[in-house]
Amino acid sequence: MNVVYVGVGEMATSRKPEQIVKTLALGSCVAVVMLDPQNKTVGLLHVALPDSSINKKRALERPGMFADTGLETLMENMKNQGFLGGRLVVKLVGGASVMDPNNTFNIGKRNILSVKKTLWKYKLGALSEDVGGSISRSVAINVKTGKVVISSPGRGDWEI
Amino acid sequence: MSILEIITERVEEKPIPSVIAFKLLKLIEDEDHSLKDVTKLVEADPSLTTEVLKVANTPAYYRGNAVSTVNRAILLLGEMMVVGVAICASSSIVFHAPLEGYDSPEGEMWEHSLRTAIAAKALAKYANKNIQPGLAFTAGLLHDIGKSVISEFLIGKSNILLEACGSGKCANFTDAERELLGTDHTKVGYALAEYWGLPESLKIPIRDHHEPHLTLDRYKPLCYLIHLADLLAMSGGCGTGTDSFAYTIDRRYEEHIKLDRNEIEILLLQIQDDFTSIKESIMNR
Repeated sequence: MNVVYVGVGEMATSRKPEQIVKTLALGSCVAVVMLDPQNKTVGLLHVALPDSSINKKRALERPGMFADTGLETLMENMKNQGFLGGRLVVKLVGGASVMDPNNTFNIGKRNILSVKKTLWKYKLGALSEDVGGSISRSVAINVKTGKVVISSPGRGDWEI
Repeated sequence: MSILEIITERVEEKPIPSVIAFKLLKLIEDEDHSLKDVTKLVEADPSLTTEVLKVANTPAYYRGNAVSTVNRAILLLGEMMVVGVAICASSSIVFHAPLEGYDSPEGEMWEHSLRTAIAAKALAKYANKNIQPGLAFTAGLLHDIGKSVISEFLIGKSNILLEACGSGKCANFTDAERELLGTDHTKVGYALAEYWGLPESLKIPIRDHHEPHLTLDRYKPLCYLIHLADLLAMSGGCGTGTDSFAYTIDRRYEEHIKLDRNEIEILLLQIQDDFTSIKESIMNR
């Protein structure tokens, strides 16, 4: 198996059954997983921040950094890989938050909300999710089987 | 021998991460020192000279003109930042060994420390009182050194520690460490810093970054800064394994640091970009 690593603000799509697409240590970042069952295509985006309005220039250089521009680009990439509309399975992982009584630092929560809002624009919703809380997660997708496996230090791994 | 006695022994076995960094600290502590003295010390170490120039020319510092002399680089970075660069440039086991007791592989402690340092430097701008960005950076870099000592005593105990935090029995991870060992990574880090002879301004944030409200008044701004920087590093995906996110933000930080939601997002983006550029400049040796 060869592993494609997706860094912060990056994304990848793959149709190669021998590949695992992986992103590490999400923290408050959110991983958007897209599975196109018809084309056997997998997409993965590692979003760091909710909205590109804070730095439009950066959004042009690295759209994946933000939920809005990241999802727009990932959707385009999925289409370029042959997605023609129809069924698209979306799974969400990450968006952890430090315990913050007044929510100022709950960037994870804001990332999840923004990802969901943007998904609605495309009439998409998450089929399953493992988000929020106070744990850092990594996620790996097997392109051949479409299995999405989450892992977290001290907690082992599990599938969603 | 009790666990605490063994931990004390281990503290005395840990070597200083960078001899040159500690020479610099001693020099800076002397009020009569000059920029010339610092420049001389840095220039006498060719590898530190290269590192200092590289960091001064990263996008985090670069202001349109290439920095080619050590003298200018020190002026740009600040003396304490040079100490931080020297520590970064060392391949100390304190930062580079895996933290098995935290389920944290090799490299994570280093990334967490660097990310906290960069976050602390960036946060200094938002502090009500003047905090030297270089001091913030170096304090951030060293804040978790105690983990390198107590990690071995936590091996196989992840479940107990996480259960203690999750069930509410312990308010956060340091409490859980204390429950299990009778001490925690902040106290052991302080003992290590004392053993190495670090100045108070670096020792105190190591001890109080999870309980900044307990620290001496004059160190409150710096300790709250490191408290937030540590949590921002975890938020950015750079934690040290099991204890990531197992801490609560102390809201009283607002008395010392002013940040609104929008500023936090701008800050997180800056931290991400600075982290990438400084990490690359240090890694590409």
